[in-house]
Amino acid sequence: MSAPLLVIQDLHAKVAGEDLEILNGVDLTVEHGQVHALMGPNGSGKSTLAKVIAGHPGYEVTKGEILLNGEALLDLEPDERSRAGVFLAFQYPAEVPGVSIANFLRTAMNARVGDEDEMDIFAFQERLTEKMELLKVDEGFASRYLNDGFSGGEKKRNEVLQMAVLEPALAVLDETDSGLDIDALKIVANGVNTLSSEDASLGVLLITHYQRILTYINADHVHVMIGGRIVESAGPELANKLEAKGYDWLHQAAATV
Amino acid sequence: MNNTTAAARTDAVLPKWNFAQFASELTEPAPLTSARKAAWKRYSELPFPTRKVEEWRYTDISTIDFELLTPAIRTEEIDEELPADVREILSQSGDRAGVVVYQDGCVVHVELDQVLADAGVILCSLAQAAENHPELLQQALFETRPSTAEEKLWTLHLAILSGGYLLHVPPGVELPAPIHTFNTLKTPGLLTSTHSLIMMEKSARAAVIEEFISEDLDEQTVSLHGASVHCKDSAGIEYVTVQQYGRGVAHFSTQHTVAHHNAKSITFNVGLGADLSRADVTSRLLGPGSDSEMLALWFGDAQQHFDHHTLQHHKAPHAHSDLLFKGALTDKASSVFRGLIQVDVGAQLTDAYQTNRNLLLSEGSHATALPNLEIEADDVRCSHGATIGQVDNTQLFYLMSRGLTQRQAERLLVFGFFDEVLGRLPMAGVRERIRGAIEEKIGL
Repeated sequence: MSAPLLVIQDLHAKVAGEDLEILNGVDLTVEHGQVHALMGPNGSGKSTLAKVIAGHPGYEVTKGEILLNGEALLDLEPDERSRAGVFLAFQYPAEVPGVSIANFLRTAMNARVGDEDEMDIFAFQERLTEKMELLKVDEGFASRYLNDGFSGGEKKRNEVLQMAVLEPALAVLDETDSGLDIDALKIVANGVNTLSSEDASLGVLLITHYQRILTYINADHVHVMIGGRIVESAGPELANKLEAKGYDWLHQAAATV
Repeated sequence: MNNTTAAARTDAVLPKWNFAQFASELTEPAPLTSARKAAWKRYSELPFPTRKVEEWRYTDISTIDFELLTPAIRTEEIDEELPADVREILSQSGDRAGVVVYQDGCVVHVELDQVLADAGVILCSLAQAAENHPELLQQALFETRPSTAEEKLWTLHLAILSGGYLLHVPPGVELPAPIHTFNTLKTPGLLTSTHSLIMMEKSARAAVIEEFISEDLDEQTVSLHGASVHCKDSAGIEYVTVQQYGRGVAHFSTQHTVAHHNAKSITFNVGLGADLSRADVTSRLLGPGSDSEMLALWFGDAQQHFDHHTLQHHKAPHAHSDLLFKGALTDKASSVFRGLIQVDVGAQLTDAYQTNRNLLLSEGSHATALPNLEIEADDVRCSHGATIGQVDNTQLFYLMSRGLTQRQAERLLVFGFFDEVLGRLPMAGVRERIRGAIEEKIGL
């Protein structure tokens, strides 16, 4: 039996240079092919977990482990984690004027294969076109500068397009639904669904504040994070319960732990 | 000691500058020789600029002993064939209207599209120009008055001129593709001096791209370069230099652009190579409605030093000038930008801008930015600004999270930083050639 895709064990983390821990012992396992939703109120540590998985230099892990396919992730630099199969869809993707999406993705692909067998420009273009068709993205999109002047919806579509091209093993979607109107949300959700049906072993960790994206993306498991720990885990029905009852009942549960 | 070696290598003997002997070995039209002699006389009276001179404060040339170098002697051995290395580059570039090739400072090949030649366009070596159009040389080149700080190297440039060309575009003629020139250096220890003389008559249009190329050279080698670009009423020029010399070379380029009524000039200097590279770029707006765009990019690594001095001189009212110089540095590289917008008394309604931005990729790199205004008219719009900054960490993390190494991410950000300037070049073919040269240097 192969190792699970992602194992997080007793993870503690804080903002680098500060004392207060934001993550207080997170345990989570994602198997290949599963979709996990991580929900919780603002400030519960959800986005911090996403950034720590991706290796954001602004956070410091004080205790615990993260394993990807059984390999320790925490020793790796952000770029090494990406090449190992981690993909973070950012809540606020950076704007990079002057660098086109196509040029950026080609550099990212070449970083994966190394200098010796640099990807042929035509092979790359073919792959990019294929993924853009798959996600129904306009032809001109890839020649635009990376997130430069993009609307919220365009930024999130761009994240999903990058994910499609880079074909990660694990996709962490950090509040990908926030700030989107319902049409944009549907487009992004369809994109994620398309990619997980294309790659049956893709694992998804979907971080969200709202239940509504789960109407469009089916989660196998739903977790609730409060105060830097996961306080409740269940099936998709948990999301509905949260929608009806809010997080307050879990706050009490968290306090008694 | 050095001197003897240098003297032994070629016949062009200038032991501590025996100019009379140097001049006696030249076979060229008399006006050229007498202009050299006048320049030499002036040169001999001037001291070499030291760091005590404000314009040379950040660039030390005292380590270069110019008078121990071997001056390239002007030869007139024109080859009908395009040299193989140049043919290779041209095969990867777009269309062209003409080509000039220098080897070690001497013109070895000139070609011009026959249709354009028939239309009256002139593209020829300066020696030929001195023979056939001495008046053009006189007014456009020899009467140029450099600034005091430039004068020493300018007079040296004229005195030892080893090669050059004249491009003359008659009224109303538009070149459909750029003139492409190659200044290639092969012999270490040389001092070359080349000049580009560009005359655009009324409503004429052209683009010129000049490449400066060499391998790394194991002895100090110096390239002096000058450009005189004249735009008559409503003429337009796009003048681009791409300096990609190897290590061991020092490059000094002095460029003067003049724009008359409604003329539009674009100058674009790309600095990638050499140990030391200095560009003095002056744009004079002589006619109302004239427009000058001055652009530059440089990327320095190791211990490279890039020095830029600019002047936007508004002598006429209703003229516009816009300067954008951007540099990125890594390792222990350094750069200087010193720019001046000068607006004369009568130059009302001047519109002039000056921006210098620097991106530092390493702790050991260093940029100096000195923008300046000198305004004597009272109804003008002028602004200047300079920034020196580092790579944005949010962008860096974003790119690295997609698998780019830190180095790749930084280089891609440099590319993005440069794009704003590249985007200002109208000719796509020229833009692509520059992009390729930058890509090669920064190694994406």
